[in-house]
Amino acid sequence: MPSGAQLETFASGVETAVDVAQIERQLHELWQLASESEKDPAQRQITHACLFNFVVLCETDTEAAHATEVVNALTDRHPCRAILLSVGADAAQSELSASISAHCHLAGTGQKQVCCEQIVIRATGQSVLHLGSAVLPLLESDLPTIVWWQGNFLRRNDLFRRLVSVSDRLIYDTSAWPDPQPQLANLARAITEHSRCNFTDLSWTRLGLWRKLAAEFFDEVHCRAELTCIRAVDVVHGRGPGASLRARLYGSWIAAQLGWPVAWAKARIHLSERDDSDATSVGMLSVMLKTDDATFSIRKNYGENAASATIDMPNACGLPRKRAFWPTDDASLLSQELDTVARDAVYGKALSMLIALLKESTGPMAS
Amino acid sequence: MQNTLTTNPLREGVSTRQAPGPCALVIFGATGDLTHRKLVPALYNLAHEGQLPQSFAIVGFARRPKTHDQFRAELRESVAQFSRFQPINPAVWDSFAQAIFYHQSEFGDTKGYQALGTLLKKLDGERGTAGNRLFYLATAPTEFTGIIQHLGANGLVQSEDRPEISCRIIVEKPFGRSLATAQELNHELADVFGERQIFRIDHYLGKETVQNIVALRFANEIFEPLWNQRYVDHVQITVAESLGVEDRGGYYDKSGALRDMVQNHMMQLLSLVAMEPPTALEAEVIHDEKVKVLRSIRPITPDQVQQFTVRGQYAKGSMAGKPVPGYREEKNVPPDSRTETFVALKLFIDNWRWAGVPFYLRHGKRLPKGVAEIAVQFKAPPAVLFAAESTAPLQPNALVLRIQPDEGIAIRMNAKVPGNELNLQPVKMDFRYGGSFGSRSPEAYERLLHDAILGDSTLFTRRDEVERSWRIIDAIIAGWDASPAPFPYESGTWGPPEAEEFIERDGREWRRP
Repeated sequence: MPSGAQLETFASGVETAVDVAQIERQLHELWQLASESEKDPAQRQITHACLFNFVVLCETDTEAAHATEVVNALTDRHPCRAILLSVGADAAQSELSASISAHCHLAGTGQKQVCCEQIVIRATGQSVLHLGSAVLPLLESDLPTIVWWQGNFLRRNDLFRRLVSVSDRLIYDTSAWPDPQPQLANLARAITEHSRCNFTDLSWTRLGLWRKLAAEFFDEVHCRAELTCIRAVDVVHGRGPGASLRARLYGSWIAAQLGWPVAWAKARIHLSERDDSDATSVGMLSVMLKTDDATFSIRKNYGENAASATIDMPNACGLPRKRAFWPTDDASLLSQELDTVARDAVYGKALSMLIALLKESTGPMAS
Repeated sequence: MQNTLTTNPLREGVSTRQAPGPCALVIFGATGDLTHRKLVPALYNLAHEGQLPQSFAIVGFARRPKTHDQFRAELRESVAQFSRFQPINPAVWDSFAQAIFYHQSEFGDTKGYQALGTLLKKLDGERGTAGNRLFYLATAPTEFTGIIQHLGANGLVQSEDRPEISCRIIVEKPFGRSLATAQELNHELADVFGERQIFRIDHYLGKETVQNIVALRFANEIFEPLWNQRYVDHVQITVAESLGVEDRGGYYDKSGALRDMVQNHMMQLLSLVAMEPPTALEAEVIHDEKVKVLRSIRPITPDQVQQFTVRGQYAKGSMAGKPVPGYREEKNVPPDSRTETFVALKLFIDNWRWAGVPFYLRHGKRLPKGVAEIAVQFKAPPAVLFAAESTAPLQPNALVLRIQPDEGIAIRMNAKVPGNELNLQPVKMDFRYGGSFGSRSPEAYERLLHDAILGDSTLFTRRDEVERSWRIIDAIIAGWDASPAPFPYESGTWGPPEAEEFIERDGREWRRP
């Protein structure tokens, strides 16, 4: 049985090394000790909470450290059992080691802390091949399993297949993939092949406000009629990882939702990059949807973390709507995604359209 | 010719909630506490979440002279203090503030309403509010009738028969102080507005946990089969406040605990807990089910009040280790006041589901802690198996819905204490919203304002609900008028000893929430 000091170490977030085979037992004993300490007001008051299994793939030490920070922020709103799989670069030495710690947050205004456990499993060399078998027994039963794969999961086919078969959701970020465009067809194949799992691209999540602002234009009936007459979609993007891919995905989304054939999409979607010195010129910068009678514009505001949406159309209000961008750090994007459980069929349609457009190598959607 | 789409294809997957249409919101009582602490922070939160209409304006209507900019500056301070998004996002605030206007007028001045009409027309052009209006009565209730009449007389209200223009009114509590005054107010409203245009607000219905009552009951197969007189022994609904009347003594003394809390909030909670499954999650269907419950409540006749009610009034005592005055020593309270600050009721719902199941309602001020909960207490299991072995009687199961603080759901059940002997002990399975979903739920007013702008009245109360509720309350008040004064209770306790005796007579006891 662990001591009170070990519980204190665990709850304060300090990692404790543990044998991989003993992880479950150690955690069980620590939580049992925590529940006993609840009866003593002098002790730290802890409640263990878990709504899902959260498996995180980390390919470098930097990614592992980042993942710990993200899990700490995330568990404030989304309590889970976090299992960090750290894949080491040292191919010569085969090693599998583990540690456990907790992320605790004060619940409301009370003194009680809501705590979630974090398990880190580090594998190097041949042990990487056995990571899957180390993870599966650690998944809490009857709870969904969500995998956040930092980096490109297509490059680790064995581990990907092992994890995706037991996962309800796979979250990844094509913006962080080096040269993602050639791999989109493989991505689409993986999505089709593993239809039980819900695939979520954080690049798509980053487009959330842009999609919302565009959708809001056409909630009113007199504007909606214009949707059938759009003759041009101008998307301008700036610098930053994945900015160009997101701009293409956005254009593809509009084309897919409006049911355009690929040839129409190719002719009507215009992409351009603006590379100026302004520090805010990263990611998506502006979108214009043009018809013969109206222009619907969304622009990222210079120097502000906000976008403005304007309608230029007879009998329409010309005042800009201003909306703050949702935070785009990984913890916020993940939190936003974890708030929804529904499968996002729209992303699949946008991705298919993007792939079809990329095949038309001479079009504006090509890199 | 353009083809018109019946739905917006870009909306798919973007949001489950429809964006509200253009609207000008006029707040009467714009310099009051409610506007500053609740309404405008809630509107800012909606703006922050991108849930306000694209074409939107807020017009503050109040007596004090001030400019638009002064009003905006005051509201900015309130938002900085009371919004759940901290710190204020300057871009969102700037855009939001441009939609705020101030209109100075006495509530009874016809010219003020004419000028309001001119301002609203101007905003229709400048801000695209398209003639849609939402009026919010956030004034003292004495002003309600005059404002409603002036709105009608000055052509500010469009008929509900014109679907292209929406015109709605939100009425804050208290909605009357008796059946007669509630009916009178309903008549005044009906002279000017259609029933679908009237939104009677009860902020309890905007709370997540209250909305969760419907989800818990009808989205989980395990509870509904047990939710009836066969398995439920009784239900306790408690809304306890640790505060006294503070600076509301003058108002409260004319109202009392029964009118202030039971008639509206607690009757709504009771309706949601006891109603039959609705056929759809639509406003009218849910209102219909709630009204059926209220109609089924067995009336307490004036001569039965001693049997079915207890009322109390807090005397001096101590709260959190500090002495506090009694109710009659509070500011603006007469020293011989007979107003109740505590009430306990036993109600029966005479229908097939609830026949014979008492619903105990308890509310009071200066109770040991501020807490609101609904406890469904199930019948005790037959003791045939464990009576011989167990030293203590079996505790019946209880399902507790905590509304505040620490919103959540707990189930009490019996479990065997580890060891060689067969000892049973009650244990609690506890689900806390804060622990499972974080603590950033929207404020009740956010949800309610958004729904009112959208025209969804599900979380508001309908005319017949209000009147049915007052019918029950009126009979109790009539009985109390002919009864001795309320029983005193020491501040910081759970009410007068008579309240304990009241429930113990039935072989039950109050929960200690």
